[in-house]
Amino acid sequence: MSDPIIATTGLGHAYGSVVALHGVDLEVPAGRIGLVGANGAGKTTFIKILLGILDPTVGDASVFGDDVRTSAIGIRSRVGYMPEGSCLPLSQTAADFVVYAAELAGIPAKAARQRGSDVLTLVGLHEERFRYLGDFSTGMKQRAKLAQAIVHDPDLVFLDEPTAGLDPEGREEMLDLIARLGSFGINVLVSSHVLTDIERTCDWVVMLDGGKVLRNGPMTGLVETDTVQVDVIGDPDAIAADLSARGATVSVDGTTLLVQASDQDPFDLVMAALADTGAGMRSLGARSTSLEDLFLAGAEGGGE
Amino acid sequence: MTDRGAVFDLGYKPHDGERLGTPGAFRATVKDGLRRVLGLRRKARKKILPFFLLGVALLPAVVFVGLAFFLGEFSPDVESPFGGYEQYLGLAGTVLLIFSGLAAPELLVPDRVEGVLSVYSSRPLRARDYIGARATALLGVVAAFLVIPNLLMWIGFAALGEGAFPTEAIDGFGDFARSLAASVVYVLGYGVPAMLPAIYTKRTAPASGAYLAIMFFSVPIASALVESGFSASRWGALLALLQHPHVVRDWIFGSFNSDLPTVSQFEPWVSLAVILVVAGLTVILGMRRYRREM
Repeated sequence: MSDPIIATTGLGHAYGSVVALHGVDLEVPAGRIGLVGANGAGKTTFIKILLGILDPTVGDASVFGDDVRTSAIGIRSRVGYMPEGSCLPLSQTAADFVVYAAELAGIPAKAARQRGSDVLTLVGLHEERFRYLGDFSTGMKQRAKLAQAIVHDPDLVFLDEPTAGLDPEGREEMLDLIARLGSFGINVLVSSHVLTDIERTCDWVVMLDGGKVLRNGPMTGLVETDTVQVDVIGDPDAIAADLSARGATVSVDGTTLLVQASDQDPFDLVMAALADTGAGMRSLGARSTSLEDLFLAGAEGGGE
Repeated sequence: MTDRGAVFDLGYKPHDGERLGTPGAFRATVKDGLRRVLGLRRKARKKILPFFLLGVALLPAVVFVGLAFFLGEFSPDVESPFGGYEQYLGLAGTVLLIFSGLAAPELLVPDRVEGVLSVYSSRPLRARDYIGARATALLGVVAAFLVIPNLLMWIGFAALGEGAFPTEAIDGFGDFARSLAASVVYVLGYGVPAMLPAIYTKRTAPASGAYLAIMFFSVPIASALVESGFSASRWGALLALLQHPHVVRDWIFGSFNSDLPTVSQFEPWVSLAVILVVAGLTVILGMRRYRREM
C-alpha cells in the first residue's frame, strides 16, 4: 500500500458511558473509500474525529500523516465535508453560499466566485444557482451540500450518507457524481448504510459494527470468492451427486449449483460432471458475494 | 466561419492558486456576518428593519446639523436646547440596544439551527475564530450606528461654525474623541451582551425578546432591590445594566449623572467594570458553547 491517507491506532471514542468507537486500527489508501455500517455503528463519530471536531478518547488518528489532535486546522484546509443532516442556510442563494464555502476554505474571493459557478454546474445546479436554498427540493439540497464540500478543491472529501432522502433517480445521479470525483483527483470517503451504494462507487471498504472494524480492505478482494456458480440444464441433483463424488462441496438452489473444491480447480470438476451426466449449462462463472453477505458474516463472526 | 455550434466539456479544474488559510476564513465569516446583520443578499424583508433602525439612528444627527444650518447660531454644547454629542449618544444608544437585540440572534441562531456549523467545522476555523468573526461583524455595524452620525455632526458643526473649517474642526475634536470613547462603551455595554441569549436559544424571536426584556427591566428590578432597605441593598444598583453606559458616558464628558448606580454612590469606574465583566462573561460562555460543536 502507498502512504495511507487515513491511519488510526487503537482509536476509541465514548459519549459518557456509551462507547461509539473501540480499538479501531486502520490504514486506508488513496482512492474512493466506503465506510459502511448500520446506523449507530460509529461512522459519523469516526468522520468527526478525523475532522478534529471530536477528540479521540483513546488512541491516535491521522489524515495525510497529520495528527487530528494537533493539526486539525491543517487537515481542515485539505478536506471537505458533506454532513448527513442539513447544513444549508435557507435564506441564502446557492451561488452565494457555495462561493462563501470556498472563501471559508481560504480561496480568494475572485477565484471563489469562479469555482462556485463551475462546481454548481458540475453538480447540475447551474440553472438554479440564484434560487434561495430554502426553496430547494431534497435532491437539490443534496447536490448543493456536495457542491460546498468540493468547491475548494479538497484532497479528500467526507460524504456522510450522501444518498439519504433521495428518490431512485436522484440517488443514481448522486452516485454517478461521487464516482466521478476520483477522476478529479479528489479522494473520497463515503459513509453509508446502503451497501449497494458502496459497491457501486468505492474501491476500498471499511466495515464498522458496534464501533469495531469488521473488515478493511480492497473491494475486489472482498467480493471475489473461490466458489463457482453454474446454472444447469438437466437434473441438478444428479450433477450435484457427481460433483460430490469428485470431492467437491455442492449446494443446490433450483437449477443453480454453488461448487467449492479445496484442492482441485472447481471449473474442471464442473466440466467433467456435466460431461458425465450429459447435462448442459446456461452460465458458468466465479460467484461474487455482496457486501451485505460479508457484513452479515462479519457481524455474526464478531469482526476481524 | 461555421454555423454549427459545439459544446466543450471543460471538466473539473483544480485550484492551483493561493489559499489564505485561517485569516481568509475569518475575513469571509466577518463579511458574511455584515451581510446577514444588514440583510444584504437576502430577501427584501430581511433588509427592512436594519436599514430602518440605521435611519432612525442617523436622523437625530441630521436634525441637529440641519437645525444648526437653518438657525445659523447653533453650537453643539451640552446646554443647547437641541443637544450635542452627549445627548445624541443617549438617543442612539436606545436604537443601538434594539438593533443589537434583533441582529445578534439573526447572526448566531440560524447557523446552529440549520446545521451550518458543520460546514464551519470542516474549514480552517476554530470556535474562537467563528465567535470572534461574528462579534466583529455585529459590533462593527453597531459601532457604525454611532460613529457615522458622530462624524456627521463633527464635520457639520465645523463647517457651520463661525471660524474657518480647520480651526473649528480642531476645536471640536475633543468632544468628537470623547464621543468615540463613549461609543465604544455603548458597543461593549449593549452590543456584546446581546449575543448571550442568542448563544443558547434555538429561535431568534425569544432570544431578542429575552435580551430586550432583561435590559429594560434591569432598571426597575435594580431600583426595587435598592429601595428594599436590606443591609447591602445598594449593590442591587449594579444590576441596572441599561444605565451603566450612560454613567460612563457622563464620566467621559464630565457631566452630571443621576442614574441608579451613581445615586447609590458607586464610582463611575464600577459601571465600566460591570460592562467589562458582562462582556467578558459573554465571550467565555460563547467559547464554551461553540467549542463543543466545532
